[in-house]
Amino acid sequence: MKTIADRLIEDVGLRRGVDRLTPEKIQKVFKELVAGECGARMKTYMETCVRCGMCAKACHYYMSHKDPSYTPVAKVSQTMWRLFDADGKVDPKVIYECAQVAYTECNLCRRCIHYCPLGIDTGYIISVVRRLCHKLGVTPQYIQDTAHSHSATMNQMWVKDDEWPDTLQWQEEEAREEFPGLRIPLDVEGADFMYSVIAPEPKFRTQLIYQAAAIFNAAGVSWTMPSTPGWDNSNMAMFTGDSEIMARIERAHYETAQRLRVKRIVMGECGHAFRAVYDVGNRWLGWKWHPVPVVHSVDFFWQLIQEGRIKLTHKYAEPVTIHDPCNIIRGRGLMEKLREVTHFLCENVVEMTPNREHNYCCCAGGGVINCGPPFKNVRIVGNSIKAEQLKATGVHTLVAPCHNCHGGLEDIISKFGLNMHTKFLGDLIYELMEKPEAE
Amino acid sequence: MKRTPLIPLALLLLVAAVFLAVPAMSQQDMTTVPTEGFKQTTRLPAVFAHDAHNEKAALADCSACHHGEKDGKRDNSADTSGIPCSDCHSAQAKPGKTPLMRAFHRQCMGCHMDKQKGPVTCGDCHEPAPKK
Amino acid sequence: MHALFNLAVGPLAWLAFALFILGSAYRLMAMRALALKKDASFVAYISWPHALKSLAHWITPFGALGWRENPGVTVVTFAFHICLFLVPLFLMGHIALFDAFHGWSWPALPDTVADTLSIVVVAACLYFLWRRIAVPEVRFITRTHDWLVLALVGATFLTGVLAYHRIGDNLFMTTLHILCGEAMLVAIPFTRLSHMLFGFFSRGYIASEFGSVRHAKDW
Repeated sequence: MKTIADRLIEDVGLRRGVDRLTPEKIQKVFKELVAGECGARMKTYMETCVRCGMCAKACHYYMSHKDPSYTPVAKVSQTMWRLFDADGKVDPKVIYECAQVAYTECNLCRRCIHYCPLGIDTGYIISVVRRLCHKLGVTPQYIQDTAHSHSATMNQMWVKDDEWPDTLQWQEEEAREEFPGLRIPLDVEGADFMYSVIAPEPKFRTQLIYQAAAIFNAAGVSWTMPSTPGWDNSNMAMFTGDSEIMARIERAHYETAQRLRVKRIVMGECGHAFRAVYDVGNRWLGWKWHPVPVVHSVDFFWQLIQEGRIKLTHKYAEPVTIHDPCNIIRGRGLMEKLREVTHFLCENVVEMTPNREHNYCCCAGGGVINCGPPFKNVRIVGNSIKAEQLKATGVHTLVAPCHNCHGGLEDIISKFGLNMHTKFLGDLIYELMEKPEAE
Repeated sequence: MKRTPLIPLALLLLVAAVFLAVPAMSQQDMTTVPTEGFKQTTRLPAVFAHDAHNEKAALADCSACHHGEKDGKRDNSADTSGIPCSDCHSAQAKPGKTPLMRAFHRQCMGCHMDKQKGPVTCGDCHEPAPKK
Repeated sequence: MHALFNLAVGPLAWLAFALFILGSAYRLMAMRALALKKDASFVAYISWPHALKSLAHWITPFGALGWRENPGVTVVTFAFHICLFLVPLFLMGHIALFDAFHGWSWPALPDTVADTLSIVVVAACLYFLWRRIAVPEVRFITRTHDWLVLALVGATFLTGVLAYHRIGDNLFMTTLHILCGEAMLVAIPFTRLSHMLFGFFSRGYIASEFGSVRHAKDW
């Protein structure tokens, strides 16, 4: 049977990292990691998995390839079990294989938990494999670059301190052409909420900032954006296994919100960033719950609609389908609100199956898309099941309220010739809303 | 004229019949443990040929099994032969008494385990009785 | 063989029950201590209502997505586990031993029912064996440990069925059955079979996390 060893992809980050290792070094780090950071969960998961293989059907990689080495349990088998069996004393090439499985063949989407009677969290196990790889310095080059950027600039895309307010002011200026009274309020203490985005927005999707400002302007809400580092809510360090940097980013984000004395943080349509702020960072920092309430865009738009603050000129006429991103659906239970918002905006919603908590992953999240060009095909070919799922809806518009999902789904759509295009909720709201001031 | 063998043959048959009839009136026709004391049984009655067993086990003292009771304890000095076990050991025993099934199991298994002889497993006792 | 039988139903039985009960208690306590020491940021989210709700869904056949999409495994797994508990606890032969040696007694299953259920367990073991050999995704993740555990459970019930039907020398078969059963008891706290102890907690934990943190369901 084929294993990960039969499909290794050359990556300079992985190769250089592995070249520096010896079995002794690996064992030392592995044992420190297990003794220091793993506890009853890892022990239970390692011991009690009965190897029934039921989780196979959960994973889009397996469903696409039908190859037994792609099932969730097979990924654990090729990584953590091997390490535990050898007490960490493995050949450096094993770490290369572990890293490729953990960074590029698992999106940490947690769908497999829906298939495991024992509730084994495969996503957690794979995260620990990544943590080990990070500690060993074996990380894919592209995603490591984003972690470096976080470390140096507190944002993912090397956006410099002055470029950030500059970009916001540029978008404000652009938007004022359309909405003369519009402001992107910077550093307004005591505003109702702080709006935070991921670094790719100022870098190459500035229209999303524009649209958000237009929506908030029309809704007449009290909001602000920070002009200082701490504005980026994304967190690639969370995915490389660099928990220390991960925690610095989250702390900076929360402290920025606290400095602005806002009531809550509203986040753009990004799933992994939401996971980092809402579920991961707080735990590493030892805060049981987030110190400032965190609201995802889907939830926020839903609230605006409930309050009657968004008015439409018309509904979107063409049929649309909804992609449920893992981090806000399995990760926060926003499936019904996502539907209510979409139905509010669109005439005709065609559900894909399976949906809601059971939806197939986009195969881009979990840091996989951030591993860059060397692994692009891994995630596209590895998700033909998604292509089939999308095709079966027969519609041409796909609502996906998540940046990673957008990236992944666009690639799948183009590779499999699906003749669809993806939209954020913000795209739709901006397109359909009443723009009273607009000239 | 030869003497017909009819008379000695008949005599022989008569003797044989007497010999066969006597054991039939003793416990030699017992092939299983008596189960009259049970309202219902789960398994086949335990195979038990009384005389053959005692001969094989060299049991002369009846009270080894047919024991009495003294102060709620087993009393091996009393001989209770002839009294059905179930007269004292009822199937549903009062607290402090030994119910019939337990009494049988302890009696048979206990001794067999002590002597390391004879059947001790379920299937070796509870098997279809041999045909008479 | 008599001596071995006596050993098996006497001292070894005590040993097996002691190792099973004390071993299980020790493993549960040790795991709890480890969780409190090392997993505090997860223990904090344990929520009994969510855990119980999820457990209820998962012990319902075809209740969870995983069960629904693996119908064969579901039917066999449920039949297997139900019989696996009913037969040892309510088999007349087992009760008779406790009754004879300790004076403990409780209602038993009719013999023919217990026999059928035991055969179900053996058949389920054969199904699991077949899966491990023939289903690629299961074959891929099967290790020696899995074969051994399956063999242990299978052998215990197979020898039990053979002993009941008086196939082979009964003393030999029964002794073998008792020894296998004792080995299985001892194996529960110390092998993969410990999912009997920890499975409820791992399920309960993940349900808490999904329910109380993520506001989603995990089935």
